[in-house]
Amino acid sequence: MIERVYDVFARKHRGDQLSHIGYVDALDDEMARVYAWKTYDEENWFEMCVIRRSNIIPVNRQGSPFSGSKGESG
Amino acid sequence: MKELLDIRDLDGPGIGALRRLILTLADSKRIMGIRYSDWLLGAPSIEAGIAISSMAQDEWGHARLLYAMLKDLDLEPLTIEHERPAEEYTSVGALDSAFEHWAGIVAAMTVVDEAISVALLGFSRGRYEAARTRVPKMLAEEEFHASLAKAWYRRIAGSSSKARSLLRDSTKELLPPVLAWLGADDAAAKAMVTEGVTESSQSMTEVYRARLRDLTALVEVNIDQAQPCGGWDEDRARGPGCPDEDAIERARGDRNRALLVE
Repeated sequence: MIERVYDVFARKHRGDQLSHIGYVDALDDEMARVYAWKTYDEENWFEMCVIRRSNIIPVNRQGSPFSGSKGESG
Repeated sequence: MKELLDIRDLDGPGIGALRRLILTLADSKRIMGIRYSDWLLGAPSIEAGIAISSMAQDEWGHARLLYAMLKDLDLEPLTIEHERPAEEYTSVGALDSAFEHWAGIVAAMTVVDEAISVALLGFSRGRYEAARTRVPKMLAEEEFHASLAKAWYRRIAGSSSKARSLLRDSTKELLPPVLAWLGADDAAAKAMVTEGVTESSQSMTEVYRARLRDLTALVEVNIDQAQPCGGWDEDRARGPGCPDEDAIERARGDRNRALLVE
């Protein structure tokens, strides 16, 4: 079974900006949702979302931690 | 909106039935938490271990809130939580033993935790105010348990034949005691339906089967053909047997008795 890297974004209040708070490794999107919610539960988040790192499109820096397949194991 | 229940209107058997309902939900949550806690360090990944650790804590938090409801019924939660022997536990029989492999705990997460949630949903829709106000938050937290359960169930069902076989066997083993527990239709269960405290065992069982039908079919288990086990114990609202002593020692907090803080 191959895990993917998912980046986790969240905001504490409705008006806050969504911030990158960390990442999780997961086998699929559903597991990533739960792992993110359970791993980053130190705050009472208003909103949290996850995105597959491979779906992030780099704009000005290739090879950075968030550039597509970098850090992906699958 | 149904009129709220006034506990003073319940007769002796009614009080007993409400105590039994709360206790079996609370005990099932507590032992579910114990079974999750067995996998804090043995899960397939760090993330899965963190998730199941959090779920164990959720279950214990829910159990604590449910035990606290017993105060309304003149039972002392501290005594109930920390002093009963295993034979007095009313937890669903499917949780009596530890799960030896990850497929087993995934089956329990799916088959047992979902049944407890369906029973809580019925309770939350009834006339007992404490359930109406406290249970919805539990159910919101349980949505994440159900999501993880389904994701892992599908994943294992689609993996090797050996893993699928373990999941199938665990599912088949867990369903009969769960169906007996959720489908209880004895005098106390009927009294709670009559009083509007919870929903009928028939309707809850239908909801339960509908929620899991497609999932268990992935391992060739037809949930509509699964039957409840026999040996129903009306006093304990469960089938025969009891949780293993190690689980009960942990549930009671025997090792930390001298440090008990309430």
